[in-house]
Amino acid sequence: MNPKVLWRRQDHPDNYIAPGSFLSSLRKNANFRPYTYWPLVCLSCAITQHLATIFIFVSVFVRLKEKHLDPRILVWISVGCFCTGYLCWELLDRKGVDHGHRHASRIKTVKSSILIFLALMSLSPVLRTLTAATSSDSIWALSATLFGVNALLADYSTMSDGGKVNERLTSVLSMNAAISASVVLASRLANDLAVFALILFSVQAFALFPRLRRRLGLCPSAIQLALTAVLSCLSVLVTVSLSRTVTWIYSSAQLGVTFIAPAVLVWAQKFKNEIRGPWDVAVPKVN
Amino acid sequence: MHPISIAMITDFFFPNVGGVENHVYMLSANLIRRGHKVIVITHSHQPDRVGIRWLLPSLKVYYIPFVPIASSATLPQFLTFLPYLRTILIREHIHLIHAHASLSSLGHEGILHSHLLGVRTVFTDHSLFGFDDAASILTNKLMAGTLKNVDAVICVSHTGRENTVLRGELFERYEEDPDVLSVRRSVYVIPNSLVPEQFQPSPPKSSDMITIVFLSRFAYRKGIDLLVATAPRICAAFPNVRFVVGGDGPKLVDLLQMREKHLLQDRIELLGSVPHTDARSVLVQGSIFMNTSLTESFGIAILEAACAGLYVVSTRVGGVPEILPKDMISFANPDEDDVCRAVGEAIQIVSEGKHDPLLAHERVKTFYDWTQVAERTEAVYDAVLKSPQMDLWVRMQRTMQLGPFAGPIYTIILIVDCLFFLFLEWWMPREDMDFVQEHWNQDRFAELARKATRDVQ
Repeated sequence: MNPKVLWRRQDHPDNYIAPGSFLSSLRKNANFRPYTYWPLVCLSCAITQHLATIFIFVSVFVRLKEKHLDPRILVWISVGCFCTGYLCWELLDRKGVDHGHRHASRIKTVKSSILIFLALMSLSPVLRTLTAATSSDSIWALSATLFGVNALLADYSTMSDGGKVNERLTSVLSMNAAISASVVLASRLANDLAVFALILFSVQAFALFPRLRRRLGLCPSAIQLALTAVLSCLSVLVTVSLSRTVTWIYSSAQLGVTFIAPAVLVWAQKFKNEIRGPWDVAVPKVN
Repeated sequence: MHPISIAMITDFFFPNVGGVENHVYMLSANLIRRGHKVIVITHSHQPDRVGIRWLLPSLKVYYIPFVPIASSATLPQFLTFLPYLRTILIREHIHLIHAHASLSSLGHEGILHSHLLGVRTVFTDHSLFGFDDAASILTNKLMAGTLKNVDAVICVSHTGRENTVLRGELFERYEEDPDVLSVRRSVYVIPNSLVPEQFQPSPPKSSDMITIVFLSRFAYRKGIDLLVATAPRICAAFPNVRFVVGGDGPKLVDLLQMREKHLLQDRIELLGSVPHTDARSVLVQGSIFMNTSLTESFGIAILEAACAGLYVVSTRVGGVPEILPKDMISFANPDEDDVCRAVGEAIQIVSEGKHDPLLAHERVKTFYDWTQVAERTEAVYDAVLKSPQMDLWVRMQRTMQLGPFAGPIYTIILIVDCLFFLFLEWWMPREDMDFVQEHWNQDRFAELARKATRDVQ
């Protein structure tokens, strides 16, 4: 006889608990799949890549400001990056989408890239003087905060199969934060060409690269790891000639994110205690 | 049991309508019938329901001028209720307060303050909560803080009791076996009930058409997604089935779209919002009641439908499996295919005439009865009044067990509450209060009413 019925008056007083029946349907950690270390390290690559992008961008800015880098070279680098990235995108696109559709989207890409190029070029004098009246201290603080927001809100997930773009609000906010940061930094530069080059580079680094990174997430992990290694080495290399302290802090952050944080997560799983029972809101399964 | 004075304290009461509201009213009415004196304390309602009102049968309701913040619940403030509560409990000579609903902060405050006046406390939990979202974590901690020092807890189903015990940390180490945590002995299960006379089934119809009734608020938690997914499939599989759907809410658009998309305007009738008083007239139009709730602590709507002679199809969630015997209800898992299967099963049972509405009504009548509920609640009150009262030091020690952060915070609140109480004792001395000398006297009322009618004649 099931002791857990309400429609039949039980022989026991109302505070009686039948032995063995209490919490009999409680399940602990029912849907719990423990993480293992190396897959987590692979997943953290996206974060490492993003941090590397930010540091490369900042060091490029410092070089532009100190006039160690000719803006024209940066423009050519940006164009080169764009072409390489677009080639990768095309290669990834080769399977799946039909030919006519791809042709149309290619024309659209060329059109919009020319449009952005011209728009940035015409806007650069405005951008150069946009925050010129603000003191540099405020600019550094503001851009640091914005980059922080960018790193926190960025979408580190991999794109679902089929390459469908579903942007979350936070990832859009993240991109906006990074572009704003580069706009406020641009006002510290001396001439219009430098401003143009920096903004162009920031569009590459913070608008286009994250999308490519999400697509690349589906590729074999060897490519992922190689890309991560290249990007982090590059970022350390370009930072080390500017400041040793920053390099130390930055590389320990990189190591922490890539190797120590996953270890901490794996260790912390032993404290996991998820309780499920009949009182939980069921999840409806609809075909 | 010797008649006592009881104060029901809850944020949810008439003029609002709903499960808790109805429960409090019916329980109070039946306790009054058993000779107790019952008052209700709740917050005021717009535009002018504030002060003292009377409801039949001689139920005095205090509407305290507090403003609700969301869905008729007041803000948890811990101290502001004390001046009102102290005055009311003293002037009404209350022996015991009974707080209802875990989201009612008025009820929690009542439990916090009552010990200052030597008044005993009982708490009834009406709903189920999870453990994994921010709102639940916060409200569960608030509830655990209050329930540390309550004298008894009543839950409406066994599943509800398991849930409340975990949420409110109602387990203790007893002297016999200090290594094992065991559930506090003062946690009771007393089911909700209904008035069977209000859900009289209609005489059986001789028609091939089978009507499925769905009556609920159109919210995610009521599983409207399941209804939207299954209704077209059921209509396609059984040409002699039609739906009558009553309710209103945010998911109404989904239902309308489904009906339009599958061209089922003639098979699915949408009634809009149905007041509780009209529930019977909607229920008796059908022979199967469908419930797709994703969580339910008791499922009074299911019971009402079963009482009105409908065969029930329900998702197997929360306390629903406890309320009816297996031959009156078909269960489904909360997925589309299984709901379709269960509805198919129900249609077969009903069309073969295996379900007798009048017999079902008679059976439900024997299962649930408010008199019995009042009797069982009375037994809880009796046990509480006979148990020893905790002193302040024990209360403080128990409150400190809440944890390294919540413990000290709640203990401070407890101490400040005592100081506030002492201040009130000095500021508004008991001697100056107007005590209630006489309560409602039914005999005298009847006599006066008789006299009045005689005078008219």
